[in-house]
Amino acid sequence: MARNMLAGDRSKLYENIDFLGEGQFATVYKALDLQHDGKIVAVKKIKLGHRSEAQDGINRTALREIKLLQEIKHENVIGLLDCFGQRSNISLVFDFMETDLEVIIKDSSVVLTPSHIKAYTMMALRGLEYLHANWILHRDMKPNNLLLDENGVLKIGDFGLAKFYGSPNRIYTHQVVTRWYRCPELLFGARIYGTGVDMWAMGCILAELLLRVPFLPGESDLDQLSRIFQTMGTPSEEEWPNMSALADYIEFKKFPGTPLRDIFTAGTDDLLTLLKGLLLMDPCRRCKATEALKMPYFYTKPAPTPGHLLPRPGMVAAAANGKQQPKLGSKRKMADDIGTGSTAKKLVF
Amino acid sequence: MDDQMCPRCKTTKYRNPSLKLMVNVCGHTICDNCVELLFVRGAGTCPECKTPLRRNQFRVQIFEDSVIEKEVDIRRRVMKDFNKQESDFPTLREYNDYLEDIEHIVYNLTNGVDVEDTRKKIENYRRENKELITRNRQIKSHDMMYLDALLEEEQQITEERKQEYQFLEKQTLNQKKKNKEALLDELIYSDRPADQVIASHVSNQQNQDAPIYKARPKAKKKAIETSSGARLGIGYQDNFLPIPKVEEIPYEYMEVEVYTFGPEAPSSLEKLQSDGYVRHIRPASPSGVGGGYKEHMACQRAVEEAFSGLFFFPFRLKNVDPLGIETS
Repeated sequence: MARNMLAGDRSKLYENIDFLGEGQFATVYKALDLQHDGKIVAVKKIKLGHRSEAQDGINRTALREIKLLQEIKHENVIGLLDCFGQRSNISLVFDFMETDLEVIIKDSSVVLTPSHIKAYTMMALRGLEYLHANWILHRDMKPNNLLLDENGVLKIGDFGLAKFYGSPNRIYTHQVVTRWYRCPELLFGARIYGTGVDMWAMGCILAELLLRVPFLPGESDLDQLSRIFQTMGTPSEEEWPNMSALADYIEFKKFPGTPLRDIFTAGTDDLLTLLKGLLLMDPCRRCKATEALKMPYFYTKPAPTPGHLLPRPGMVAAAANGKQQPKLGSKRKMADDIGTGSTAKKLVF
Repeated sequence: MDDQMCPRCKTTKYRNPSLKLMVNVCGHTICDNCVELLFVRGAGTCPECKTPLRRNQFRVQIFEDSVIEKEVDIRRRVMKDFNKQESDFPTLREYNDYLEDIEHIVYNLTNGVDVEDTRKKIENYRRENKELITRNRQIKSHDMMYLDALLEEEQQITEERKQEYQFLEKQTLNQKKKNKEALLDELIYSDRPADQVIASHVSNQQNQDAPIYKARPKAKKKAIETSSGARLGIGYQDNFLPIPKVEEIPYEYMEVEVYTFGPEAPSSLEKLQSDGYVRHIRPASPSGVGGGYKEHMACQRAVEEAFSGLFFFPFRLKNVDPLGIETS
């Protein structure tokens, strides 16, 4: 890489072609990477916001994201391709991702077969295993942050809350992870925690893939806890040692819990074992990513669907396929719009 | 069924077992007595929606749900005109489009969407395809043929059953007659005492009764085709559609690779414990354990961090990026 490239204005290397979305801290554009034959990338431009906010410097979530992502590279983790500053702005360049798991789950025209679910779970767990092996907690696992590219490869994205873990004395905030995917120890105000937070969220995501609706949609933190205990049963001190030592611990009514088999009637035994492992109350015994990936669930048939056969949401597929023949499974109405729109209809009313 | 009630006179099926609910084009129900009362002069308005109705258009309600009743009626009337068949179209796709148009029209009329437009559409269609409609009315449609075939088969089966029954009846009669004659003959000509003869006959007869029901070869049942190509009918048992075969790549666990640029650190928890690494780490507090933290974690990380990067010299590895992946 030329020296002037490192120092100079690298924003010229990317040409914005489309606006993709806006979050709390950043605006995301679809752009062409002019250095690499116009490869499509996503440029995340961090908002500096108001002058008073800008005084504190760059947003810390952006810093976290850059620092962590610079050092890691895995098929199932979003790749930070570049990062450049332009005047007082800072922009991050990522792989361009077509869609995310939330879209897939909510798209009612997509049929998720057991092997699709297995494939998504496998890819997400592989990404998590890599992060955890590198001492990184993602801390915001949810379907919305599991991105999918056009080849059906799932990548974990949004490292705004990610942090190194495994320090004996560092205190972390428990206000992480979107509430519906937040584990009981965080809800009880744990300040020191481990990989369990991501694994619990993974369990909720797997459950959501099966149910197609959020598994534990709590309305408040307290409601979240009672939902968890109502479904999984209130843990005893033996089931979760030192539970009462947590900062915000409160005693809950003893719920017996609902057997997972009654909730996931279509789930195989292997799947329920994995789910039980991921949704275990005691964070020390909760299934680790590596353990999960070695479970029989992944080895038994049906095998996980290969990436290129995974479903794509209707809208995206329509835009991407252009001239291609509509898929058989898609709705006829949709197929009409995509494909043979030019065919003359015999009936003219 | 027992809460069927005429909305006008409030008579229920319970109070008047011969109650017949009628519907007209508007889809509102009314009992036959009220119809007689209200439509003495042959025409009047619906008591609920004030649509002008004619008496001879009242039909007995078949479906309990009046919406379905209405839809079925509308469909029947629409189909009278829209009677093109698959052979009238060059491609299957166009036929399907045509079918979908019909569904649209039925839906619109049933739910009161663009009623005027839809009416006009039907009128136009009727004018443009006059000949085809009359021609097709002469020909039996595919569906009609299917229904006829079903009816025919049903008839055939009842016929067969009847014959079988008659045959059995005849056989038993014959048998009885024969037995009786044999008994009489034996009583006349045999030397044995009468009660012995009778007893042996009774036991014989009991043995015979059982195997009389001899299964006759049943007529081969034929499968019937529907318009959609799915085969239905008695005696045809099809399996489900075959599941499309997808190439399967068996799952394999892949060890996660971490580039440390250093000597391999003792990573298993047992080793950390047995080699005494953990001894020098502050034990986790109860709240830490409750939150999922154990001192082994900190220990393992410390050991790994101590070893990692020992062999890393950025200026010597020119064309290797920091993750150890060769770049071109």
